Amino acid sequence: MTAWRVLIVEDDPVMREFFAASVSRSPRLALAASLGTMGEALAWLGDPSNAVDVLLTDLGLPDGSGLDVIRHATRLHPACEPLVISMFGDEDNVLASIEAGALGYIHKDSTPDDIAHTVLEMKAGASPISPMIARRVLFKYRSLQAARPRAPASEPAQPAGQDAGSGTAQAVRSLLSGREQDVLELIARGFSYQEIARLQSVSVHTVQTHIKNLYSKLAVHSKNEAVFEATRLGLLPRHG
Amino acid sequence: MAEGSHPPRRSAAARGRLRWGAIRAWLACLLLGLTLAASASARAEVQELRQARAVITADGATELTTVSLPYHWDRQHHGSPGTGTFEVPFSLPGEPDIPYALYVLRLGNAYEVWLNGTLLQRNGDLTRVNGADYAKAPRYIEVPPQLLQRQNLFRIIIRADGGRRGGLARLLVGPDTEVQEYYARDFRWQVAGSLAVVVLSSLVGMVALMLWLTQSDPTQAGWRKRDSLYLYAGLAELAWALRVADKLIENPPVSWLWWSPLMAVCASCWICSMTMFCIKVAGWDEQGRLRRCKTGLGLFFLAGLFVGAASQYWQSPALLTAYYILASAWCMPFALIYMALAARSGARRAHVLVAVVLLANVAIGLRDLLVFRLSDSFGDNSWLRYSSMLFGLTLGYIALTRFRAASAQARDLMANLSARVAQKEAELAHSYQKLEQLAREQERASERTRILRDMHDGVGSHISTAIRQLQSGRASSDAVLLTLRDSLDQLKLSIDAINLPTGDVTALLANLRYRLEPRFAASDIELQWDVDLLEPVQRLDANAMRQLQFMVFEALSNVLQHAQASVLRIEARAAGAGVVLRTIDNGRGFDVTAPLRKGLSSMRERAQVIGARLHMHSAPGRTVVEIHLD
Repeated sequence: MTAWRVLIVEDDPVMREFFAASVSRSPRLALAASLGTMGEALAWLGDPSNAVDVLLTDLGLPDGSGLDVIRHATRLHPACEPLVISMFGDEDNVLASIEAGALGYIHKDSTPDDIAHTVLEMKAGASPISPMIARRVLFKYRSLQAARPRAPASEPAQPAGQDAGSGTAQAVRSLLSGREQDVLELIARGFSYQEIARLQSVSVHTVQTHIKNLYSKLAVHSKNEAVFEATRLGLLPRHG
Repeated sequence: MAEGSHPPRRSAAARGRLRWGAIRAWLACLLLGLTLAASASARAEVQELRQARAVITADGATELTTVSLPYHWDRQHHGSPGTGTFEVPFSLPGEPDIPYALYVLRLGNAYEVWLNGTLLQRNGDLTRVNGADYAKAPRYIEVPPQLLQRQNLFRIIIRADGGRRGGLARLLVGPDTEVQEYYARDFRWQVAGSLAVVVLSSLVGMVALMLWLTQSDPTQAGWRKRDSLYLYAGLAELAWALRVADKLIENPPVSWLWWSPLMAVCASCWICSMTMFCIKVAGWDEQGRLRRCKTGLGLFFLAGLFVGAASQYWQSPALLTAYYILASAWCMPFALIYMALAARSGARRAHVLVAVVLLANVAIGLRDLLVFRLSDSFGDNSWLRYSSMLFGLTLGYIALTRFRAASAQARDLMANLSARVAQKEAELAHSYQKLEQLAREQERASERTRILRDMHDGVGSHISTAIRQLQSGRASSDAVLLTLRDSLDQLKLSIDAINLPTGDVTALLANLRYRLEPRFAASDIELQWDVDLLEPVQRLDANAMRQLQFMVFEALSNVLQHAQASVLRIEARAAGAGVVLRTIDNGRGFDVTAPLRKGLSSMRERAQVIGARLHMHSAPGRTVVEIHLD
């Protein structure tokens, strides 16, 4: 079995060293590079000779945001799965990262074993999610759901927004399946993956897959939403 | 302004009359005068007949006499009724072959006109005293040429009622086209003009009354709401319209006994109302004097009613004449004083205008009084009828200027209003801004307090503990690590608390579990999660949520660090409008009555702050910490 190639982007040298060491310790992970700025990261990602499977990036980089590194990585290396290094795992930052394309997050105070474990879990199909984030996603989903049915009636005179708008509506409808919604609600109530698997009579792996799928959908949805907004503002030409 | 006809004749005297007539006609109407002058030579054949032989029957006596025309019955018989037969001979140079006509400015009150023994026209019943009055309009009678000879005789029989201006005016006879001109002119001024005055006065009167009814001043109460200026003007105009309409009515709807006094009343109503109108325009609203004025005018008006009735009843026109003289006697000085006050600087323009109109009307009224009531003139036209229209014009002017002023005022008001509304809005926005700023400051202050307390109780206390542990040199690195992990967990919880939905206890517990999960995993304690989906507890604000988080964290920390338990159960149940939280472990327990550990006392304090009830029950194998939130 080949090891996953990991790129680390972290401006604090001590932290960077710690993460690099944690990755190197795992026989199933290989350190591709460990960089300190967004500029370096973008340059490294832009080099076609570099290959990467996992991106670990801090959000607050001296020359920009880790969100841009995530977007860049997923665009140039579709197989690359980004994880965000977060001090607190607080919902604002994590949600923004998910919408940029991240598939999970790692706490800075994690132990080296935890770090490798989280990366490998993600590659195996599991993404971590906190009850707070689950709650936020549910809330966002419900308010979108509540707002959507009115949109076609209130915007018939705005063909510019309609294509993108119906695209967004499509994305929202397909955003959460009933099962995914149930899983999210249980997570928000504090149940663990194992408890949820038991309650839903599915395997833990299925629960984890739901969450990871959800991450991708959120990223796609946020991209659609951005397209819709841009079209509405006239920043993008109308399609169709 | 128009007057009786004065037709030309070839005699020197008649030429003099013709000139006089032409001048008066010019004065009256320049255009008409010019027309007359231009056609003077063509009218050479028109004859004016001024002498008549008459048989007059009045007061039971009959006399045969020669009279000169016009014959003014009332001047001759002082109000007694009677009949008269007038024979007026005239000669023609030859038998004419063109149509002729006779024109009489005034005759009656009933009459028959015969020519050479043939009846030409009859109007009214000669025998019925106080019957219909046909003397009011000029008469034009066509004369068939075949009736005319070289020597001809008009025989005109009249019935004259007392005090009704009966009699016979001069006769004008000649080719019909030329005679027609005289008739048309007099008809225009006396009949058509009167009709126009009636129509216009009625219209002005009704509009004025309408204004009186509709224009009200909401700041006043009762009748004072309405502007009596319009009422007086309306009454005056309507009374005048009826008075002038009399000229057009030959057969009144009621008997003369009622009709004649009614006309007198109309005239006095006009005089009194117009006086009040003038007073209103001048703004003499001083109460005492105004009341005296009203009383005087009311008495004068009543006097008009009685005098009119008496004059008709006793057939004594002199009574009415006296009444009108009395009116002139006070109208004259009133007009002069009014004018004098209007001439002062500062008088309103409407006041000045009305003063001029008033003066003109009084002067013309005097003229009419002289002509109709005192002189022997017969068939003259009233000027007052037309001059009265000037009042209507001033009323129009007053109404227009008032409406203009009112609309200007309304515009001002609107502008003012929107400016004030804008100002109020700005003030409101300002105070709202201040309020908001205050609220924000308060929010910031309480947030600061919360963060400071968090740092003090949480991170700060943990770090100082860690420092003490390191300084003492006795603590193991695991102990220090635990302290620091605690510190970081506290920090994460305090960040999570910022986003916790207020009152949502389920979310609070879920978050705590999520944060402490690694520790549970490390401690080999089986966690039993029995948390219902709870309705938010309304009274828990952000600060209370944080306190509650601390309390639960403390309880869980105790179990993790000291209980040596293998099972920890976390329960949350709805209890009425509130919630009950329980942590139950199977550890070794502790003495809840012994001097409390720091963590436990901190829990009690926090419970007190947020008004929660805290129950602890501990025995080896079962320790329950219960938090009631009502």
